[in-house]
Amino acid sequence: MFKIKLEQKERVSKREDIIITLSAIVIALVLSGIFIAFNGVNPFVALWKVFTSALGSPYGISETLVKAIPLIFTGLAVGIALNSKLWNIGAEGQLFAGATLATAFVIYGPVLPKPLELTVLVTLGAIGGALWAAIPALLKIKFKMNEVISTLLLNYVAINIADYFLFGPWKGKDNFPYTPEFPTEAKLSRIGFGRVHSGLIIALVLVILLYILIYHTKAGFKLRMTGSSLKAAKYAGINIKKTMFMVFLLSGALAGLAGVCQITGIEYKLHQHISTGYGYTGIIVAWLARTNPFIIVIFAVFLSIMLKGADSLQIAMRLPAAVGTVMQALILFAILGSELFKTYNVKLIRGK
Amino acid sequence: MKNISKSFYGNKVNTDVEFKLEKGEIHALLGENGAGKTTLMNMLTGVYFPDEGEIYFKGKKLAFKFPGEALQIGIGMVHQRFSLVGNLTVLENLILGHPENKFIINIPEKKKLIKTYMDQFNFQIDLNAIVGELPIGLRQKVEILKMLVREVDVLIVDEPTTVLTKQEADNLMQILKNIAKTGKGIIFITHKMSEVFQIADKITVLRKGIKISTVNKNDTNPRELAKMMVGKESEITFDRPKVNTIPDVVKVQDLFVNSDKGVLAVNSLSFNVAGGEIIGIAGVSGNGQVELADALTGNRDIIRGKIFFKGKDISNDCPVDRIDKGVSYVPGDRINVGVAGSRSVWENIIMKVYRLPEFKKGLLLNNKKLREYADKIIEKYNISLPGINLPALLLSGGNLQKLIIGREMERDCDLYVFVYPTRGLDVGATDFVRNAILQLRNLGKAIILISGDFDEIFGLSDRIAVMYEGQFTGIFNNGDHSLEEIGLMMSGQSEEEVAKEMTNV
Repeated sequence: MFKIKLEQKERVSKREDIIITLSAIVIALVLSGIFIAFNGVNPFVALWKVFTSALGSPYGISETLVKAIPLIFTGLAVGIALNSKLWNIGAEGQLFAGATLATAFVIYGPVLPKPLELTVLVTLGAIGGALWAAIPALLKIKFKMNEVISTLLLNYVAINIADYFLFGPWKGKDNFPYTPEFPTEAKLSRIGFGRVHSGLIIALVLVILLYILIYHTKAGFKLRMTGSSLKAAKYAGINIKKTMFMVFLLSGALAGLAGVCQITGIEYKLHQHISTGYGYTGIIVAWLARTNPFIIVIFAVFLSIMLKGADSLQIAMRLPAAVGTVMQALILFAILGSELFKTYNVKLIRGK
Repeated sequence: MKNISKSFYGNKVNTDVEFKLEKGEIHALLGENGAGKTTLMNMLTGVYFPDEGEIYFKGKKLAFKFPGEALQIGIGMVHQRFSLVGNLTVLENLILGHPENKFIINIPEKKKLIKTYMDQFNFQIDLNAIVGELPIGLRQKVEILKMLVREVDVLIVDEPTTVLTKQEADNLMQILKNIAKTGKGIIFITHKMSEVFQIADKITVLRKGIKISTVNKNDTNPRELAKMMVGKESEITFDRPKVNTIPDVVKVQDLFVNSDKGVLAVNSLSFNVAGGEIIGIAGVSGNGQVELADALTGNRDIIRGKIFFKGKDISNDCPVDRIDKGVSYVPGDRINVGVAGSRSVWENIIMKVYRLPEFKKGLLLNNKKLREYADKIIEKYNISLPGINLPALLLSGGNLQKLIIGREMERDCDLYVFVYPTRGLDVGATDFVRNAILQLRNLGKAIILISGDFDEIFGLSDRIAVMYEGQFTGIFNNGDHSLEEIGLMMSGQSEEEVAKEMTNV
């Protein structure tokens, strides 16, 4: 019999870190393959299909990018909070809050010239998300409520509020739960590559701005310190409550942008399925990327390949829709499991 | 233990060490920080494997498969950081994980068994108390009792007195002596000379991972041991020249502060500190010293009272305002408060200066300049570290403290609050810190030194205050009272009562 012996590691080199993460992804793909094989489909064919459908044609690539846009936003949202060790599980709800507030302006507000209209909508989207994130932030700061629970539960509230409007005042003429199509003034322009819209540009600009914010500003320094040790941050003269609150607002605003870019860039209306769990997938993106904004982009694209690929598996190979979710889950599990190898030397020893 | 060697990442921590423990003996393992004492013992308890060498226990060669095995065969270790469950009661902690536990545990029977151990060794602990609420001295006793309940034959205690007060430490030593009398072997890891002579039968000195010698207590003296330990004879003398003092840099009036648990920790304190003066605050730990330091530096809210600094009321200023006004704090909890451990060394060095205009580059921070600043401090204070971009928690205790002190000294403040500044440091680092404190005093800074080390208090202070239950039982010039008298004040007697007692004798 073998026994597993763990010895604490002092530190991991960057190279080791990357190798371990990549191995975890490979293992996750192998496990996904096994799962697919049980469904009676050749896993190699299926995995090949995942990548070719997502990256094998200009159409595939553009559709992958379309899915990557909201993931970049939610990944940034969760990631910025993780920088100061706050868990925002509520990106999904903030996404809906942002989208709902922006939609309210489209429905009740005047139709402005396109640049102005879009500026207002995008701003409202960010504000909506930020306001929704302010609730758990205040609960945490004033009453020490765990943000994991509060942000998670508020997702359901936000989605139900959106539902209220969709099934109520904003219901379409044909009685289905979606708003009328937005006017052209409220539609983000495409950038000339399939359905890819200018939300991508907003996202990439934010990536750069956030990188600068985190690593090159006073506010970023406060955020990093708060994330490392509350006591030390306080000792260094940082107002940790204020920092946490600002981080929450920023995080919520980013998630809100995901929502507003979905409705103005792709869907052109508000309905129940503007997000296919982008807020939750954003958690995986942020965790994989370890809070660095540029790496968040890479993993947002990677996970959108998975999402896009899973879609086509469902259509082309008649695999259940859950395959995509299962693959995501396996990747997250493998990555979480791989943490063990980063903190310990794992040895197999022969026991009795 | 025969010819034990162990390296971490190419650094030899133990080289060819031999160690022998007899039944019923208290064997002190003496050495500076980083001499390899704890590593050696971790191999004896199966936490690490030796790279070379063999370990025998009762004549049998040992090869551990998992750390818990050592405990099963009767080798138990009380670590510096306790392994107790804070939310459970003492009794539950003692029972938890006991190998004889069945699915259903007969608690009254266990309790009776534990009571017999407590009576035998004269432990006074409330079994129903929640461990997390016990003072640290009692928690340590729970750890030792836990080992006794497991019926270990060898008990290893790793620097047990670092966190204890003098009285607690004496009490602990007595208990250890009683335990040794029953035939158990005790290994006592320490770097304090006085303890060695108080308790040990035999002494093994380690230096830089090498065993220097094993001697009987009666065949040696402190000077010889110190020589073995540090390689050279260390003579610490403090030179306190007269400096011009600036009166009332700090004025504290009728200060009340609560502890974390909401209990009054500082009770109506009033005192002044002058610039160019070190006021040493002695006292049994947990009598409000840390709360006082936190309150002075803005890290803890005050309930009532006023703090004046250079004539201005700073009672309600937040930490950042006090930092800007020139209040410096070297906290007792270096790892959790003094640095943000997971952040890099350079970030920790600049964490109090990054806001200054000189480090601004437009809207951004001038990271290059900040790093240069950090480099300068590392060089100036001779901090040895694995890398400026690596997390601060990788630094050894001494270098971490050098980092903190360097950071604080470089900021040129007018009040410096030091809390246990040399706790757990080796001789070299301790010297460095004490000299730094004196240097600040000679520059005319006001210094509040909270310490549990009498050498430090007597050696550095101009005035000494003794703190007991949130109040000063005495505040007087250094030299006015003997150690014995201060000891009495630490146990709650006022200066006048002590004076009376001394004349009665």
